Amino acid sequence: MSNIDRRTLMKGSLAAMMAGAAFSRGAFADTSEPILLGVSGPLTGPNAQYGTQWKQGFDLALDEIMAAGGINGRKLAYQFEDSQSDPRQSVAIAQKFVSDPRIVMELGDFSSPASMAASPIYQRGGLVQFGFTNSHPDFTKGGDFMWSTSVSQADEQPLLAAYAVKRLGLKKLAVLHLNTDWGRTSRDYFTNAAKEYGAEIVVTEGYIAEERDFRSTLVRVRDANPDGLILISYYSDGALIARQARQVGLKQVICAASSVYSPKFIELGGEAVEDVHVGTRYFPEDTRPEVQKFIAGFKKKYNGQEPDAFNAYSYDAMNMAAAVVKIGGTDRKAIRDAFTKVKDVSSVIFGSATFDVASRRVKGAMNAELVVRKGQFALWDGKPT
Amino acid sequence: MSSWLDYTINGLIVGNVYALVAVGLALIFGVSRLINFAQGSIYLVGAYIGWVAVVQLHTPLPLTIIVVAVAAAIVGLIIERFGLRPLQNSVRIAPLLATIGISFVLDQLVMLTFSPNPRALPSQLPDVRFQVGGGTIGPLDLLIAGVGLTSAILLFVFLRYSKLGWAVRATAQDRDAAMQMGVDVNRVNQAVFGIAAALGGVSGLLVGMYYNQIDTAMSLQATLKGVVAEVVGGAGNVPGAVIGSLLLGLVESYGVAVFGTSYRNLFAFLLLVVVLVLRPNGLFASARQAPPEPLTGTFIAPSRPVRIPRWVLLAAAAIFAILPFFPVSFYVLQTLINAWLLGMLALSLTLVAGTIGQVSLGHAALLAIGAYTSALLSLTLNVPVGLAIICGGLMSAALGTLLISPSFRLRGHYVSIATLAIGEIVSLVILNWESVTRGPIGISGIPPLSLFGYELISPTSIYWFSFTVMVVLALLQGRLLGSHLGRSFRAIRDDDIAARAYGLSLNRYKSLAFIFGGFAAGVSGGIAAHLYSYINHETFNTQQSILALTVVILGGLGNVVGAMLGAVALVGLPEVFRIAAEYRILIYGIVLLLLVRFRPQGLLGTM
Repeated sequence: MSNIDRRTLMKGSLAAMMAGAAFSRGAFADTSEPILLGVSGPLTGPNAQYGTQWKQGFDLALDEIMAAGGINGRKLAYQFEDSQSDPRQSVAIAQKFVSDPRIVMELGDFSSPASMAASPIYQRGGLVQFGFTNSHPDFTKGGDFMWSTSVSQADEQPLLAAYAVKRLGLKKLAVLHLNTDWGRTSRDYFTNAAKEYGAEIVVTEGYIAEERDFRSTLVRVRDANPDGLILISYYSDGALIARQARQVGLKQVICAASSVYSPKFIELGGEAVEDVHVGTRYFPEDTRPEVQKFIAGFKKKYNGQEPDAFNAYSYDAMNMAAAVVKIGGTDRKAIRDAFTKVKDVSSVIFGSATFDVASRRVKGAMNAELVVRKGQFALWDGKPT
Repeated sequence: MSSWLDYTINGLIVGNVYALVAVGLALIFGVSRLINFAQGSIYLVGAYIGWVAVVQLHTPLPLTIIVVAVAAAIVGLIIERFGLRPLQNSVRIAPLLATIGISFVLDQLVMLTFSPNPRALPSQLPDVRFQVGGGTIGPLDLLIAGVGLTSAILLFVFLRYSKLGWAVRATAQDRDAAMQMGVDVNRVNQAVFGIAAALGGVSGLLVGMYYNQIDTAMSLQATLKGVVAEVVGGAGNVPGAVIGSLLLGLVESYGVAVFGTSYRNLFAFLLLVVVLVLRPNGLFASARQAPPEPLTGTFIAPSRPVRIPRWVLLAAAAIFAILPFFPVSFYVLQTLINAWLLGMLALSLTLVAGTIGQVSLGHAALLAIGAYTSALLSLTLNVPVGLAIICGGLMSAALGTLLISPSFRLRGHYVSIATLAIGEIVSLVILNWESVTRGPIGISGIPPLSLFGYELISPTSIYWFSFTVMVVLALLQGRLLGSHLGRSFRAIRDDDIAARAYGLSLNRYKSLAFIFGGFAAGVSGGIAAHLYSYINHETFNTQQSILALTVVILGGLGNVVGAMLGAVALVGLPEVFRIAAEYRILIYGIVLLLLVRFRPQGLLGTM
């Protein structure tokens, strides 16, 4: 018994010493030191491209924040830890961030398994986990330290359904979706809304992320005889499906979720994606100043490269983080509370973004109805294709 | 009815695509008895060299093909000379592992050079389409078919009628005899690697053009499908690889036709398992072919294990046990928790791969079975977490052994391939069996670890819990290995024919090993599920199976202490290199290569 007591005592005093050290470091921190955000995301492995895109959006936002005087005169910076979007690594990173007093808030991870595996650690450690690509319906249910600007699919898919059914007049739909948590949730919201608007879903096909060959899937689609194809895909698989659909002779109207919105979609899809309809959260010709500023800044910083959806998410996320830190300061709990206080943050995806405190997500994503014309995304002029 | 024609044509077209990779794999296997896991990476390199040629240098198609073939061949020669030739006289598993390390290095180099964003690789053939059935065929489809078939025929002729071809076949039959007859075995190997790499590179180019898309993640899928096609056709048989590929394409296409898209890969891997069970050497293995592996101790390096004095082990255990009392960060503890979880998996694998000689490449499936069982029991039936984890272990033991039992009669590489397939099948069943596993949505809100009503949520308590479980499992396994049973296991590994002659029932002993191993892996998966609180079908993937195998080989096959040491090293290494961000997997690959080169029997040696 006394043994256990001694152990507990020893452990307690060590913990106190550590806490003390952490506190003193925090209290006497040099204000010329940057305010540090932790980022957990993929830089290597199969999702590496998304981590690279995040960085571009983050860096652009940080440039602008610095130019505007930083966070009350202090620099804002991030520390990017490569998780490969692997849950084992994201939990270790979570412990690293939680126990590093310099980190005031965390952004990421990319995929649901990696993010949600780390959530309990962030929740217990009292560090905000700001997942800006986490549309899994349960992500923000992980606790009151989980916040997200990822557009809830409950919000977005009915808009796509309205575009396809009400505006384009498609009555018999074939739905092809990525068979992941995201694709599956999106599909369910989409089909419910589409049925509500009076359309019939004649075939649904879920495919895995590594799939490259869709010809046989498309024969199934052809045999179901739809008058429109709905793609709940990312840009690379979306472009592949469109190409192969045209190759096997399907001429139906194609309508795709906003996740295909990327210049890469057109580059990879070529002529096959001409006339594809896309409901999107932003597009470059949107005249809103925040969008124009983002696009101009992005092209200038990255040699004329066109930004895509993931660049926009990460850019918005960094701006949102800055707005929150401005209110909350560097105290982790105050930062969490600041999420309930930020109002109307200028953003590309939402126009002016405010969190819904109950769902800890942002509501009211912008929606534009686009179509690919002459190798470019353009606002849909209402004419059938 | 016309749809079936379309499904058939589509199956043949994608089968052609697989054949491009499978032929190269078959050629290398035919000579070196090596499954070249780097073939997919050469394919990747070929695709990107092709991109540079087409998009930046605007080369015409024939020149593009030559450029890619030559460049890929050079890469192949470099791999052969510096990656594999030094391993000639070491254990069979060493070159296999080296190809995995090489694939890490190549993939990362391509990613660092070209960024991970997918790129468009425009086809240089005119985009005319011919109507066939309800679908169409284009010139590129025909070119791919042409390249696949022509290379198979040319290789067949080369092997059968040319002098170097004879040398290649002689080397394949009996390396030492060939050498004594004056065949320059190294030159043969070089030629084969050069040809296979050129083929691999060209296939990357053509497949990239076919999809108008290349990305740095395409290599693993290519390797997987290529290996399946090759083994179905009969490993090492070049025309067999083409037929195996076409068959694979057809089975996938018909699978989609009947059951839908999400079952596609399930049928690919089921085909493989069925073929292996019915015809363990593949469909077209000739009767005259030499046995696929020598009969004794295929994978096991002859080595004297490092004897660690008992007091060192006790001291190490004591240090790890009291570690949380020292001011170490939770990050270090969490990293070690990952190591202990991987250690349990490694114990399981070191028993089946090391002690009884069944090298498994699908061990992550056992984690998944344990994790899902434990998560679902505690979540839906409110079974206490401690008990649920034990049930997870039992379920992995039972189901895992049952699933793997068809592979018991296989040998050497075929066991690895069969278990690889079983691992994929488990993952795809989890994805598709929605009423039980919740499909792609995964299981969230899994209750945290708890023991007798006390929740273990601090890293310190989870650390002690997982460390204790691992140590108990390790002690049990040590006891097992020291017993009569353990000696029987090793006897089966070292010479199964002698063991059978002596009256040992191979299947029964292999089952026993898988039951014990399955339990340890299932417990590891169960703990992970409660630690993560969310799992889906991707949480435990092929990469984890490969990692586990690497750990086991690093530590020393069959070596209990080695498994734990390997786990700490391989969980620790990437964390140590974390600072190197994008470069860390590259460094990891190089470290792996160096280890295989200089210590193929593992750090602590084979038991």
